[in-house]
Amino acid sequence: MREILRAFGGPLSLVIGTLVGFWLLILVAVPQVAMLDYSLWSQAANADLSAAIDRAYAEATMAEFDRRAEANPAKATELDEKLTALKRTIAELEAAQTSPPKTYGLQNYTRMSPLHAYIFVRTILSALAVAAVALVVCYPIAYAAAFAPTPRRAAILLTALLVPYAMNELLRVYAWLMIFDYRGVLNSLFAAVGLADLEARRWVPFLETQGALFTVMVSVYALFMVFPIMNTLQTLDPHQIEAARDLGASAWRIHARVVIPHAKPGIAVGVITVFMLAAGSFAVPQILSRGTGGDWFSQLVYRQFFEANNWNLGSAYAFSLLVVSLAIVFAMMRAFGVSLREITK
Amino acid sequence: MTRRREAGEAVLDAYVALFLLYMFLPLGVMVIAAFNAYPDPSVTQWHGFTLHWFEALARDGRMLAGLRNSIFAALAVVALSLPIGLAAALLLTRLQSRARGFLYALMVSPILTPGIILGISTLVFWRNFGMAGGLLLAVLAQTSFIAAYCMLIFLARLQRFDATQVEAALDLGASQGLVFRRILVPFLAPSMATAAVVAFLQSFENYNTTVFSIGGDWTLVTEIGSRFRFGLTPAVNAIGVVFVVLTVAMAILHVHLGRRRRAHG
Amino acid sequence: MRGTDVRLDHVDVTFGDFQAISDVSLEVEPGEFFSILGPSGCGKTTLLRLISGFQEPTRGRVLIGGADMAGRGPNRRPTALIFQNLALFPLMSVRENVAFGLEARGIPKRERLARADALLALVALEGQGAKKPGELSGGQRQRVAIARALAVEPAVLLLDEPLSALDLKLRQHMRAELKAIQRKTGVTFIYITHDQGEALTMSDRIAVMNRGRVEQVGRPEELYAEPATPFVATFVGEQNVLIGTVAASAPGEAAVDTPLGRLVGRTANGAPAVGSRAFVMIRPERLRLSDGAALAGVVSRRDLEGPFFVLHVESGDTRLVAHVPNSGAIPEPGARVALAVDPADMLILPEGETARA
Repeated sequence: MREILRAFGGPLSLVIGTLVGFWLLILVAVPQVAMLDYSLWSQAANADLSAAIDRAYAEATMAEFDRRAEANPAKATELDEKLTALKRTIAELEAAQTSPPKTYGLQNYTRMSPLHAYIFVRTILSALAVAAVALVVCYPIAYAAAFAPTPRRAAILLTALLVPYAMNELLRVYAWLMIFDYRGVLNSLFAAVGLADLEARRWVPFLETQGALFTVMVSVYALFMVFPIMNTLQTLDPHQIEAARDLGASAWRIHARVVIPHAKPGIAVGVITVFMLAAGSFAVPQILSRGTGGDWFSQLVYRQFFEANNWNLGSAYAFSLLVVSLAIVFAMMRAFGVSLREITK
Repeated sequence: MTRRREAGEAVLDAYVALFLLYMFLPLGVMVIAAFNAYPDPSVTQWHGFTLHWFEALARDGRMLAGLRNSIFAALAVVALSLPIGLAAALLLTRLQSRARGFLYALMVSPILTPGIILGISTLVFWRNFGMAGGLLLAVLAQTSFIAAYCMLIFLARLQRFDATQVEAALDLGASQGLVFRRILVPFLAPSMATAAVVAFLQSFENYNTTVFSIGGDWTLVTEIGSRFRFGLTPAVNAIGVVFVVLTVAMAILHVHLGRRRRAHG
Repeated sequence: MRGTDVRLDHVDVTFGDFQAISDVSLEVEPGEFFSILGPSGCGKTTLLRLISGFQEPTRGRVLIGGADMAGRGPNRRPTALIFQNLALFPLMSVRENVAFGLEARGIPKRERLARADALLALVALEGQGAKKPGELSGGQRQRVAIARALAVEPAVLLLDEPLSALDLKLRQHMRAELKAIQRKTGVTFIYITHDQGEALTMSDRIAVMNRGRVEQVGRPEELYAEPATPFVATFVGEQNVLIGTVAASAPGEAAVDTPLGRLVGRTANGAPAVGSRAFVMIRPERLRLSDGAALAGVVSRRDLEGPFFVLHVESGDTRLVAHVPNSGAIPEPGARVALAVDPADMLILPEGETARA
């Protein structure tokens, strides 16, 4: 603290402290706490309350009707008291309806339906699989880019990799939808050679397969795998590969013993990044599946918030996703032996 | 042995070509459909070349408003993220190991957090103060992680900063403010430009965080997202073409300017 | 510009468990060229940071011009520091660099640039003001740093081994130049170095430091001729060190039994106790070839240094180094020689730490 003051002086330290405090507290930490808080309580279902209110109103109407017909003053006073009590009950119920009492507990976490739990697990496992597939697909590309025979070819390859990313993620996914759709590019090609008949609705339902989802996710996140691996490979002296080859090592052995060990930090960064993006992916499944290819967990979260309007359950879902994906990220960091600093390079 | 090696290289080249096809296929489909007169986005039902969808896009009020909102939000995010990222980086360079490690982890945590969760937590938090989702919340939610990118950019530059320059300036009687203005800011100027561009693009392109915090407002990207539910016309493809053309043009300009600057010494 | 005095009064600096400076007291005269000489890690840089204000003492006081500097930051002290790496501002022109201290004092642009140009003339850099520091040579950058420091008219100029990055020729040239600038300006110079040659040639006085303590303060010739401790004796100039036991002791004189026999020499401070361990120090240039008995041995190596030969003479486990004038017959390796030395050139010091242990 004193170090900061000495380095920047009072006014500047204050500005720095305010900005960082605003960011880390107001924008980062406290919202997460608020989300956690939301996930830990629930309110009585409104349906029960409104029925009770309806009942009380009916009773009050009856009592009022009786009161008007009643001539006996003693009975009338009794009815008056009953009416006042009913009105109080109604006011209480209505107050409860606008702000029902919160019940704190883990109910939002324990109440996840088997289907939702299944989708949650499937999302996490699929995200891991996407990362693995992306690694296999992208490793040769990173290798080719890092060891391109001429700088010119390397530059062309890099540009070629970057251009498709000029389009927004949503549009890229959407383009894939046009390819995989029932009447899309692929099925039209199939129809042209007689493998499908679009008129008879005899087509290949690509969109209902996990394969289409994987194809699209890998294509959308490929760059996040290629670049870190390429960056670490560029620091590998090509002479090492030549020396290994000179010593008679096979291509497999060269990769297994020389190239991959060197690329490990980059591979770790790529796998972790792609896993994170896939686990939290929203645009890809939303656009691609249109509800046919099975849900991704992020879509369930979205629906809890904006369709079921149950923010508490939605928060619990979101928090579960956060904790599990962070846990897996840290587990992978340990397994690969990379630090936070390397991940964020 | 050399023959085997050449064969290996040929396989790799073929694979690279295949991969590029994989990356460019959606791009091609997107672009072709933008010029197709068929009313649904398609490349298989070719009804003739048209520029109609670009025209339609130019008249699409919601898209244009979305573009305005996107630019406004991106500028706001830049205006917030740059000073925050700079302050955070400066703080980190002056801290001792323990506190530094903890703060660093906290600062990069938004990058490791799924985007939708940043949007959700912002939405939930501000509801306690009666603020509903909207452009402002989207800006705050985006800033939470974009500031981290800016911080990392500044930190990388500051690691190459010679701290004795600050001592020299103080020794010559400079106030901390003057040191900041005359020594630190000029040194950081190139990374400020980088951070501003990164922040702007990150904000402009963002969907996951924004869609959860935007409420009834919309940006260009969330508008595209909602069109997928409520009927699409190839005007969306036209946007894609505009994106690609703009980006490629900027890239060419960047390379060109870089070359000229180098030529001039 | 007029230099002022600098006084350190029983100063301690500790970093955690490490005591960087132990009970240092120094008095630097106004307008003096004062060097602090010591091996790396001896605390001399800490001492400089203490005077410039980047470091506060754990105990003791720092006074400049009689004023206590406690709590005054580096930007509020009448000192200017020249950093080891110079720390020029790479993005500013040379003129702006020199004018920076004046800018910090709110002096209008035209005036401060004019003064910067005058200072650039003083350090023989006229017409180079528009360049960036990166476009200058090492020696020129050195002079920019000096001009920049002088621009704020400091009473005390602190220099942290500023010549260490230069090559030998340039270093020797810059020594003369620094000395000349100091004479011209009258500013108090406090110069940090580990290079005894630098300290001996430029300084009015030198403080020799070791392990956070000042071992001795004195004029260069004093330090060379009358070192107070074995460390100073061996750090400043070359030295033959013979270890032995004091056999007899009288004021100003003692006899020590060494592997080369009993040697009688002068003592520096007080009489060492008989029976205690002591060093006999002999400068190589004080040993001369003789016919008499004295110190006998075999030449093991002979190196020509130009004006003199360096003879390595071995006798049992003891090795002596002698500088012999390059005239007449010089013994070849393998030859038996005898070396003579006057008792006045043998200094007897109590056993202690030496610089080349």
